[in-house]
Amino acid sequence: MNILIPDSWLKEHLKTKATPKQVANYLTLCSQTVEKIKKVNGDSVYETEITTNRPDCLSVYGIARELNAILPQFGIKAKLKEIAESKKEIPQVKKGLPLKVKINKPSLCPRFTALIFKNITIKPSPKIIQERLEKSGVRPLNNVIDISNYLMLESGQPMHTFDYDKIKKATMILREAKKGEKIVTLDKETRTLPTGAIVIEDGTGRIIDLCGIMGGANSEVDEKTKRVLLFVQTYDPMKIRRTCQALAFRTEAAARFEKGVNPEGVIPAMKKARIMFEKNCGAKVASELIDIYPNPQKAKTVKLDINQAEKLIGVKITKQKITNILESLGFSLVTDHQSLITFSVPHWRYDDVSIPEDLIEEIARIYGYHRLPSNLPRGKIPAVTKDSTFEWIYQIKNAFKNWGLTEVMSYSMVSQTQLEKTEIEPKECIKISNPLTEDLVYMRPSLIPSLLMVVSENNQDEITIFELANVYLYQKIDKLPDEAPMLTGLLTGEKFYQAKGVVESILATMGINNYQFEPYHLKQTFYGKVFHPARTAEVMVKKDSLGVVGEISPHVLARFGVKGRVVVFDLDFRELAKRASKAKKYTPIPKYPAIVEDLTFVVPPKTLVGEMFEEIEKASQLIKLTELIDSYKNTRTFRITYQSPKKTLTDKEVEKIRGKIVHKLKTKFEAKLK
Amino acid sequence: MESNRIQNLKNQAISSILEAQSDEELEELRIAYLGRKGRITQLLKEIPSLSPSERKEIGQLANDAKNAIEQALADSKRAQAAKEIDIDKEWLDVTAPGKRPSVGHLHLVTEAIQEITTIFEKIGFTRVAYPEVEWDWYAFEGLNMPENHPARDEWETLYIDHLENKKYGHAVLTPHTSSGQLREMKRLGKPPIRMLNIAKCYRRQSDVSHAPMFYQFEGLVIDKGINITHLKGTLDYFAKQYFGPNRKTRIRPFHFQFTEPSIEVDVSCDICQGKGCRLCKQGWLELGGAGMVHPIVLKNGGIDPEKYTGFAFGWGVERVLMMKAGLKIDDLRLLYTNDLRFLKQF
Repeated sequence: MNILIPDSWLKEHLKTKATPKQVANYLTLCSQTVEKIKKVNGDSVYETEITTNRPDCLSVYGIARELNAILPQFGIKAKLKEIAESKKEIPQVKKGLPLKVKINKPSLCPRFTALIFKNITIKPSPKIIQERLEKSGVRPLNNVIDISNYLMLESGQPMHTFDYDKIKKATMILREAKKGEKIVTLDKETRTLPTGAIVIEDGTGRIIDLCGIMGGANSEVDEKTKRVLLFVQTYDPMKIRRTCQALAFRTEAAARFEKGVNPEGVIPAMKKARIMFEKNCGAKVASELIDIYPNPQKAKTVKLDINQAEKLIGVKITKQKITNILESLGFSLVTDHQSLITFSVPHWRYDDVSIPEDLIEEIARIYGYHRLPSNLPRGKIPAVTKDSTFEWIYQIKNAFKNWGLTEVMSYSMVSQTQLEKTEIEPKECIKISNPLTEDLVYMRPSLIPSLLMVVSENNQDEITIFELANVYLYQKIDKLPDEAPMLTGLLTGEKFYQAKGVVESILATMGINNYQFEPYHLKQTFYGKVFHPARTAEVMVKKDSLGVVGEISPHVLARFGVKGRVVVFDLDFRELAKRASKAKKYTPIPKYPAIVEDLTFVVPPKTLVGEMFEEIEKASQLIKLTELIDSYKNTRTFRITYQSPKKTLTDKEVEKIRGKIVHKLKTKFEAKLK
Repeated sequence: MESNRIQNLKNQAISSILEAQSDEELEELRIAYLGRKGRITQLLKEIPSLSPSERKEIGQLANDAKNAIEQALADSKRAQAAKEIDIDKEWLDVTAPGKRPSVGHLHLVTEAIQEITTIFEKIGFTRVAYPEVEWDWYAFEGLNMPENHPARDEWETLYIDHLENKKYGHAVLTPHTSSGQLREMKRLGKPPIRMLNIAKCYRRQSDVSHAPMFYQFEGLVIDKGINITHLKGTLDYFAKQYFGPNRKTRIRPFHFQFTEPSIEVDVSCDICQGKGCRLCKQGWLELGGAGMVHPIVLKNGGIDPEKYTGFAFGWGVERVLMMKAGLKIDDLRLLYTNDLRFLKQF
């Protein structure tokens, strides 16, 4: 969370000549990051990001305490001043105003303090307080409320003020909210409380405070208020956090309470508040100080081996220097046995420092990461076998780029509508419980819906795209889905053969040769429904399928609002990578000339050229190459290259093979040589 | 018939060929030497009548002469043809557009991933991939973030319906690549480890600087004697390689549950040269988090924290991409909405 710290306020607590620029730089290098220095009326205001583990830094004083340790490391003198007001005892009052307190569960409120003031005159705060609040991003309201905000910003301890006369029967019961209970908070919002929210009920059963988050409107301080109950507490951080989450509502106070507020800081804050009430509001203490603190914080120590510090930081820092650094942060040396030193943890760091590594972090950051050398790791390079998939992915993507395809990347999540349009059953897909929008609900089991979306959303004539990404396939309730990489491409227009050509080229690039394209016949599968029943082929290697290439069914296209034809190839990249090979094979350059001739056949309708190829090639080992060079109506012209590695073929030898080809094509397909 | 005569005949023929001015002249010369009654042809006819010893030598010479003359004739014919082109009159409009092969486009993120991979592979990192749909234990619990820990708030996590494992909890979409840390430790069993995990991550967040799906790259090094200076060295190496030698890096203390100490790394802003501008923070751009692997995480991965130490970092691919190129893409989500007018710019 970010806080604003005015330089002038900071320097009330820290005596130093450091310039704002130095303060910002050195605080950033060794503690909390100053994101910006803003100039406000001649003052510098540090916008500082405080990490979640350091709630002790969520205040002017907390930052001053850090700088007190940091600045001397840069050769700049700094001295942290004590808050004199926090040392002055609260006067005893005889026969004070009553307040009955009952805490239902001690863990809800580790420390409860309260003090009542009388003779209050409500008016604006002194100018300096108003200015400091404004610079810190808080709107000044009146002298009473401003005290609680001012001290929260200065000491990190949130406070709350009630109009004492609005607390019926001078009774407070601190308890957990029951389901459905409501409160109107100070901002006049009616809030339905989640079960377990910490609340205070007065003597008539009214809820008058949503503890740690915001007070109730029914007990607020207004211009007529004469007597004020000041409330300084700590709460169970988890309860505050859950309530904020459930209400989707968070205040400055709540943001501090949910990170943990130091119970030892309660009394000093209360003491300073008392002095400010007297000074700013003309108030007088009208009650005993109520302080309920059943389980005071125990002393906590952490043991450190200085050799371990060196091992982790990478440079040797002397024991003396380590001790100096930790003491400057408020730790104190308890025992010292050679390399082992034990420190007690200051109360404001109680929750965040527990193990030796925590101390090492303190040493490293104050010593300064900027002072450490940069070294590349030495030691052995791990002997792991490389996954060649990544290399293939990059090669194939580059090949696609060079073949004119454009890579798209779409979200892994799709909508129910997109699935249904593509004949996918949403029930069978991995579903997100808390999706961001209804477009991003299911983990896609196919890239096809995403690519069709690209076509439907881009108003362009010619689209040639591909995506290589995981699809997610449900397996079992206690098993992670199968994440299968798919290589899917899409071409608009009547381009089946171009798409098929791309597939053939991928297979060639990956060194996969023994494949076949077979017409896809299954009707009930996903592919059978999404692709055109008579214009789709499956890529097979023996009995394994590598994927399909085909036209998308016109019905599916219509649902996506796409006109014309669309061809898609959808390949299982794992199957491809499994069979891919970079092995090269050498075939001697032929010594004897080849004989090339063209044969044209007249074929019956729907004769598969693929099968004709197979038959031709089976005719003789001397057929080196078969190409289809022309295809018009019912004629197919093949160019056949005959070649022997041993001799120059004679016309007679070729004639014999030709005869075999013609015979085979005739008996198998009723094809006639033209 | 002596060899000199043959040599002379050849020389004579070749010089005449070189002097010839037209195709007709060349044809006459061909007939004169190689025609049916040509002088070389005649000579070849005489060979069978020679004594066996002469036959071999003379035969060889005569054949060579024949080949040389044929070659000279062919060369001259080509030269003659070239002469007929009037170079001075020929013209092309070289400013007219070229005919390009059709070239497609790689996605910006693909190129960034490849560049990052190459940089880290040079210093011994191996790329891996781990599940995107992952158990809570790997994504949070095992990384020292128990259920309900406030640190979990920093990830706007997306949860999966009806997918739960007794040992590892419910399934989430990985909000960071750090879940790969425990996977890698468990897979390899023992150090040394130098992992580069680049993967899709997901968060319930969408605005101009956040897409609900994005890429991170995670480095993890575990070995004996690994310390903060090695983390620093690796970060500096990457920044210099990726962003160029003129960019500076800065380390700030930070907090993560799964590293101790934790840091964040900044790179100097290239727009203002580190002076401070609207787009950066006091001259610095945040690169991402890093730190020394928390002993609890090492233990959870089955590695003895007494023996081994390690560091890890996990940064956004889109983020480094934008920081490098000064691309100034005003909405990060453009990367994943597949507007072809956008994709075809790169």
